[in-house]
Parts: sequence; C-alpha cells; structure tokens
Amino acid sequence: MPGMPRDPEDDEGKVVRPFAFFRAGARADARAAQRPILVFDGVYKYFREDQPTLKDVYLEVERGEFAFITGPSGAGKSTLLQLVYRKHTVDQGRILFCGRDIARLTDKSIPFLRRNLGIVFQDFKVIPHWTVFENVAVALEILAMPRRLVRSRVAEALERVGLAGRGQERTESLSGGEQQRVAVARAIVTEPALILADEPTGNLDPHLAIDILTLFEEINDTGTTVLFATHDHSLIASRDHRIISIDEGRVIEARTGLRSWGTTGVHAAVG
Amino acid sequence: MVARARRGLREELRLYLVAVTSLSVAFLCVGGALLATTNLSAAAERWGESGRLSVYLRDGARPEDVTQLRMVLEGLPEVASVQSLSSEDARGMFLEQSEVSSDLASLPAEVFPPSLEVAIAEGTPIQRVDAISERVGRFRAVSDVETYRSFFDRLGSLVTAGTNLAIVIGLLVLLCVFAVIGNTIRLAVARRRNEIEVMKLCGATDNFVRGPFVLEGTFQGAMSAVLAVLALGVLFTTVRGSIDASLAELMGTRAVFLPAWMLFAIIAAGAIAGAAGSALSLRRYLTV
Ligand SMILES: Nc1ncnc2c1ncn2[C@@H]1O[C@H](COP(=O)(O)OP(=O)(O)OP(=O)(O)O)[C@@H](O)[C@H]1O
Ligand SMILES: [Mg+2]
Repeated sequence: MPGMPRDPEDDEGKVVRPFAFFRAGARADARAAQRPILVFDGVYKYFREDQPTLKDVYLEVERGEFAFITGPSGAGKSTLLQLVYRKHTVDQGRILFCGRDIARLTDKSIPFLRRNLGIVFQDFKVIPHWTVFENVAVALEILAMPRRLVRSRVAEALERVGLAGRGQERTESLSGGEQQRVAVARAIVTEPALILADEPTGNLDPHLAIDILTLFEEINDTGTTVLFATHDHSLIASRDHRIISIDEGRVIEARTGLRSWGTTGVHAAVG
Repeated sequence: MVARARRGLREELRLYLVAVTSLSVAFLCVGGALLATTNLSAAAERWGESGRLSVYLRDGARPEDVTQLRMVLEGLPEVASVQSLSSEDARGMFLEQSEVSSDLASLPAEVFPPSLEVAIAEGTPIQRVDAISERVGRFRAVSDVETYRSFFDRLGSLVTAGTNLAIVIGLLVLLCVFAVIGNTIRLAVARRRNEIEVMKLCGATDNFVRGPFVLEGTFQGAMSAVLAVLALGVLFTTVRGSIDASLAELMGTRAVFLPAWMLFAIIAAGAIAGAAGSALSLRRYLTV
C-alpha cells in the first residue's frame, strides 16, 4: 500500500519511524494530512475495577492544533497523555495516532511510536550531571544519527528554546526555567509530529510559566501539534486555545475559542 | 554504545573497582588450583613415561623360552634395555636394600623368582607400556609382570581429585562473578534509573539501554580474570626459582605455567559470566 508506514519491528539501529511522513511540516500524503493526528474513540482506562479513571472518551485533535488539557487534580490528565505514549494501555476503545491504533502496537514497537512524540514533564526529567548538549543529544543518539548531524540539530534546538551556546554547561547549574527549556529542546530536536506536555509549568514561577507556554506556542507555529496539560487557570485564560476538560473521567468540554465564552465559560470549563 | 559504556565505567569507578578487585582474588584461586593440577599431571605424565617393567619368570622356565622372550623384548622400539636377574641376584639385592635381620638372610634363593628387568625408553606413553606388559604376560615362561602401575594410578587419582577440585572452585567462582557483577550492575542501573527512563521515553529500545551495561559487565568480568592471570604469572615467576630445585629433586620435573588456551578460557569465562550477570540483572529495570 503506498504511503503506509513501514513495519517498525525489523530494522533497529537505522533511523526508522513508523510514521515517517508525519513529521512536522511534511506533507507526503494529502489524505493523511487532512485526518486528525490523534483520535480517542470510546476509550476506557481502569486502575481500579469499580471506578474507571477515563470512561468513554471521544476526542479528535487536528494536525497543527494547540490544545490545553485541564481538569481538577486526579481527573486523569496525565493518564490521558500516558495512554498516548503507551506508558499504559487502554482497557477499551481505540487511540489512533496518525490513523494507527496504538493500543494494538506490540511492546517492541513502542520505542518507534515514542520517536514520533516529544514529551515534556512537570519535573523536567533532565539528567543533572549531563551537559545541556548531552541531555538534548540523547534523543538523536537513540536514532543512531551521525555525530555531525547531532551537533548541528542540537545547536538548532537549543537556539529555538533560547539556550544558544550553552550546550557545554552542566544541566544542574541551570535554573528551573532553563532546565525545562532543555527538556523542551530534547522534545523538539527530533521534530516530532506531536508534543505531549504534562504540566510543564507546574514547577515554575508564573512569569516563567508564561515564557514556557510562549515557547510551546512558537513550536506550534511551525506546524507541530501540542497537547498542553495544566490546571493553571491564569495560564489558560491568558490564551485563546482549545480547551479539553476532563472531569470524573469524562471529557466534558472540547471547544475552541475560549475568549468567546466569557469568564463564566472559563470557570465552567476549568472547574 | 562504547562511548556510553565508557561514561558508565567512569561514573561508577569506585563501585566497579571493588567488584573487580574481589573477583580478581576469586579468579586467582581458580588459577592457583589449575596451576597445581597442571603441574601434578605433568609430573604424573613424566613418571609414567620413564617406566620400568619387571617380568617374573616361572619356576623351571625353559632357557630357550627365556631367550626368545628376551629377543622379543629387545626387538621392541620402546624397550631401552633388558637385564636378567637370577634368584640369587634378586636375593642378594633384596638383602642389600632392606637392612633386615639375619633370620631373613636365611631365606632360600627360591623365594625370589628370577626376572627380566626391562627399562622402557623415555617418552613412551603409559598405554604402550600396558600393551607391552599384556603381551609379555602371555608368554609361557612368564608368571607375572609388574608395571608399578599402582603407584601411577595413585598419582593419577590424585591428579583427578585435583582436577575435580579445580572444576568445583571454578564453578563457584563463576557463580560469584555472575552474582557480584549482577549486583554491581544492578546498583549502577538503580543509580542511573533516571537516565534509563529518559532514554526509554525518547524511544530507546531495550537493547539500546541494555548494551552499555552488558558491555560494562563483560569488561569487569574480563578485567578481573586478566588481573588474576597477571598476578598468578608474577607469583609464579617469583616463587619458581625456589620451587624448581626441590621439585626437580622430588619428582624430576620442572614447574610449568598454565597453557595459553587455559588462560584465554579463564578470561573468556570471566567475560561471559559478567555479560550474563549484567544482562539478567537488567531485565527488571526496562519497563517505563
Ligand atoms: N499507575 C497508576 N496506578 C493506579 N492508579 C493510578 C495510576 N495512575 C493514575 N492513577 C489514578 O488515576 C487517577 C488520575 O490520575 P492522573 O495522574 O491522570 O490525574 P491528573 O489529572 O494528572 O492529576 P494531577 O493534576 O494531580 O496531575 C488518579 O485517581 C490516580 O490515583
Ligand atoms: Mg498529572
């Protein structure tokens, strides 16, 4: 079938992506480009038998979209994202990433799914005793990319997050906001189609949070889809992005254009 | 992968040094046991080779049969010399060698059977000596053949016991290597759990994560064995001078070092046990 992704299981070591043509900006297949990049189709996730963390979730995320995921603590925001990068598997329903059901991927294919995602966490997950360069380069070394290319791509990514020329510093000597920028650089250096950010501003001062949010918006401007989980109302209210709100395991709002709702709308959506 | 393994070795240097040092001592024990066994078996072999046969003749054996037997023996390439010993000669030699009291001296000559004393050429394998004695034993004039095998057999069983001991020690040490390196790597993995998590979230395969750790384990195992072999070599050359003299007097042999293949086998075993230990200890940590 033309345009179908290659089977990722076989050749490890080479730069293999199961959804190679879905890299940001790539437009290899016109039909694929029109389809939503991410679809939740009747998804259930149970951590306890009697109470599903996510129940019957339907959700479509368009290519190039920027969406907040919000909801009270314990609502299942992190769980939703973890299902996408296959930390957990759905118990019922399907999750289509670029048209592929990721619930049906074998364990051996999971790394190849993750190579198409950029993940950013609240606790940064950078290695403190590595240099800034090493922390970003690790994502490319996994792809067995030649060293020269790694150097230029890392430098480019560091420039995009505002850390140009600081590759040789030890990461632990950086401030929290800077460390999160390193993590963002690591997430974008592979040019993934989709970025999953799980409360990336949760550990940062409010003004730094706005900086990081702006950074993600700049990344989104280049065509990368961004899912940004947060329960910071002020952050959500400061922007006019789509809001996906989770409460008691259900997606209760999935609307675009926050500003058109008025203030009551915000509080209804955010809880 | 090698670069990442090198970084790991550097970061966990203290941990790895402790492991390598203790494993070296363990390997040194194996090496020592193997060295002792090797020397024992070398001595046994040499003794077996420079053999001697006593062919005891029947009472009233016909002289022409004896002459024929002697000719056959002298015709064999393995036989260095044949000397015939009459009853009187044997009695005289016996009395001379054993400084016994005079009542034994009254023993009649008939108690000592006449014999042919056969010296076997040096370098003849024991199996050949056995074959010869078996053939000679079938002659009509021969009552009995003494190969002095029981002594070699005793030495042989000593060698076997030594070999078994070396094997047991070797297996124990391999188990140690397996466990110690497994634990060391487990510790290193636990300390580098965050790195593993980051790599896996970036899409690293299990093999990508595992590679450097297995390499580190292999290196540790091989390094321990190499150090032990070197230490054994140094020990051997320093004590050889004093040992050689007494050994030459006692056994007529010189001390030998382990053959090259055995050294390589020790190092390879260390490397393999290290690799296996680290690979197994990693399994639990790869789920992210
Ligand atoms: N691995 C797990 N095992 C068991 N229960 C889990 C697990 N992960 C999440 N849960 C449960 O699922 C629910 C949703 O958790 P989740 O982390 O997705 O919430 P969240 O919306 O991200 O909350 P927060 O804003 O505090 O980060 C919680 O009740 C939590 O106890
Ligand atoms: Mg969360």
